[in-house]
Amino acid sequence: MKYDKFSKIESIKEIKRYSLPHPETIFVFDLRKEEKKVDKFLKGKKIVSIRSDKRGQPQFCPNIPRCRSSKAKSLIRKINKQGYAVILHEYLHVKKGRIAAGHILILKNHILMELISFGPVSRLDRQGVVEEIIKFRKDDLTEVEHFGRKLAEKGVFKKIAKLVKNIPCFKILDFVLMERGVYFYQIQNDKTSKKLRD
Amino acid sequence: MGNNKKEKQKIALNGIVASPGIVQGKVRIVKSPKDILKAKREEIIITPFLDPDFIILLKKNDQIKGIVTNEGGATCHAAILAREFQIPYLAGVEKATKVFKNNMRITLDGEKGTVYEI
Repeated sequence: MKYDKFSKIESIKEIKRYSLPHPETIFVFDLRKEEKKVDKFLKGKKIVSIRSDKRGQPQFCPNIPRCRSSKAKSLIRKINKQGYAVILHEYLHVKKGRIAAGHILILKNHILMELISFGPVSRLDRQGVVEEIIKFRKDDLTEVEHFGRKLAEKGVFKKIAKLVKNIPCFKILDFVLMERGVYFYQIQNDKTSKKLRD
Repeated sequence: MGNNKKEKQKIALNGIVASPGIVQGKVRIVKSPKDILKAKREEIIITPFLDPDFIILLKKNDQIKGIVTNEGGATCHAAILAREFQIPYLAGVEKATKVFKNNMRITLDGEKGTVYEI
């Protein structure tokens, strides 16, 4: 299995399997063999996002969230040489055109969203910044809890909840809501969430 | 005959249940990551938020009874780890570090989402 144990790459594959909208993405295991694919991806893009993944070691991988396309190939080459597979994403601005970003936790009976308005989702993950929290009942998508200021017009997050309501329980999805649409870019299992009151 | 003594108002705050469980203990206000290592048995740490520097140290001290933070939610990295370690954790308790003081006895109710002085 080419992607076996590349957890971030498998995660993106999983998002594709659920037919969720995602940023345009390619994987580069060896730039020398995949240069044409990379050139095609970079064409017409000024900025791209570079993430990376290593078999069985998803943490502390090189990450360049905002990279000029002109510099992308040399960085990909360098990262590949260090033994990492590169995940090359379409760049989603962290402020311009951004409405919200955050996590969606799928529980057995509810869908929980924790949101921020701008910046990387690591603000939420690692710094604990949470600007809005919404809890939907899964069966009819009724909003049962709400905290914080409203980051989007009424009904916007409910539509997003509808996209993910059939995804198996106890998974956390990372997403970005831009003015032009919603993009999911990571999905992870969170078995510990079974302990939460649902 | 009414009691003329004014009863002191007990502190009670609400938050988001990030890791369930009900515990009682003494408050330890934690301002720097190293303070986590000083937390003793029966202590509930109260801190602005558990960033990755705090989390590494949290793993080294298994005596912590509970966690309360001003910031955070149920999907943050700190919340996932607290659930993994089975430490009750209440996140998003605004002003917790201001109103609670060291050695105060509190109950962290990680079922109802409240923390209060006892």
